[in-house]
Amino acid sequence: MLKQINLIFQKEFCSFFRTRLAYFVLGIYLFLSMFCTFYLGLYFDVLNANLFSFFYFQVNILMLVVPALTMRLWADEYKTGSIELLLTRPLSYTSVVIGKFLAAWGLCLLMLVCTFPLWLYTATNLSADNLNIAASYFGCFLISGSMCAVGCMVSAFNKNPIVAYLGSVLLLTLLITVNYNFIFNGLNLSGSLIIRFTQSLNFFYHQSTLLNGQLGLDNIIYYATITVLTLWLNRITIEYKRS
Amino acid sequence: MITVKNLCKDFNNIKALNNINFTIRRGEIAALLGPNGAGKSTLMRLLSGYIDPTAGEIEIFKQNYNNSRRQILSELGYVPENAPLYGEMTVFEFLKFMAAAYGLSSPEADKRIAGLTRQFELTNVLTQRCETLSKGFKQRVAIAGSLTSSPRILILDEPTEGLDPNQKFSLRQFLKDYARKNIVIISTHIMEEVTALSSRVLLLNHGKLIKDTTAALLSELSPDNSLETAFRSITRQKQ
Repeated sequence: MLKQINLIFQKEFCSFFRTRLAYFVLGIYLFLSMFCTFYLGLYFDVLNANLFSFFYFQVNILMLVVPALTMRLWADEYKTGSIELLLTRPLSYTSVVIGKFLAAWGLCLLMLVCTFPLWLYTATNLSADNLNIAASYFGCFLISGSMCAVGCMVSAFNKNPIVAYLGSVLLLTLLITVNYNFIFNGLNLSGSLIIRFTQSLNFFYHQSTLLNGQLGLDNIIYYATITVLTLWLNRITIEYKRS
Repeated sequence: MITVKNLCKDFNNIKALNNINFTIRRGEIAALLGPNGAGKSTLMRLLSGYIDPTAGEIEIFKQNYNNSRRQILSELGYVPENAPLYGEMTVFEFLKFMAAAYGLSSPEADKRIAGLTRQFELTNVLTQRCETLSKGFKQRVAIAGSLTSSPRILILDEPTEGLDPNQKFSLRQFLKDYARKNIVIISTHIMEEVTALSSRVLLLNHGKLIKDTTAALLSELSPDNSLETAFRSITRQKQ
């Protein structure tokens, strides 16, 4: 199984570079990140011990960039017919799904690593809280993983990469902005277990704590659950299309 | 041996295949023949395990896809219609990927690829990207890719499409040799190919298997002893 995952991971990861998509996405991501950090985030005007100017915009930037990585992972296979080639080899569907997801997530890691000079600059010129920054980076990595999984799942529904991109952005926007507290808003249940539960379903609730450098087991479980659940749905979609 | 029993496939209430039964043994080249929309490609997709049947059974070497999917697929090479490849890969990378997907180790894969490269005359295009290849080369690369594991069953959807007469001839020779110890199933519209290649003809029309015979016996059904005339008269009758 690991061998198969590695095979698919290598195929997809190399494909990002062969098709130049990796360079394009990496360029866009770095430009948006730096623009937001220095221009909108007023990097030089606010105290940036925890790189607040950088992490504040990360979810929105990743929401636009990650679907560009995942849009073609399945959609292209269906469009060109190579899906028949792939699924009639003795590979387990789970390996293929995980391999494709890891390739996209791996590139997200590379994108984040490319912003490390900013951390280095902050650490040398300001009194940076390195532990907090490292935790925030890990948080970004986790969030990008969930976004990759959502993007992969949407891509599996489509033959058209553009539709897959727009679908992923739309779904991620909904996921990030929906406040599940509205369900029980009418009832006077403040502080109750139900309210705390619905609050824990909110993406932005976890995102804000995670990007502030508070890792927290609940945050890790939340994003891991979204990732595993959407990858499972991805696999179901592939199976469903077969039947 | 491939045994197909009462095989049916529906797409949104349209019967693509209806109650198909046949057996193909080792050493046979079976040609799936039929007009457009007869169900040839659907039958190939079912045999290759790409799609599931609505009803019926496919038994391959006494195993079925429900229980031994990966085991069957490791014995099977399938080239779909239009020979899809990964355009961004070079021919060598593609063949290497196919070999690795079958679980071959790197030295085994290299050895096998060297043999296939010679067989299908791919030496000059090994470092070329698949998307830049001509149709004939794409077809040959796809067939070579499906042969990396020396599968016991080879399923080819319109294998000679895009090949020039010399390439067609050498592919036919190769398939004849290969079928001595294995099973080869092809789908085609070209009558000349059926005559030259197949030991069995499975004639499909409107999702039904209407003839399971040989090319020679099928030709005898027409007054002028021509396969094409026989094909036309049978498929027209059934419309």
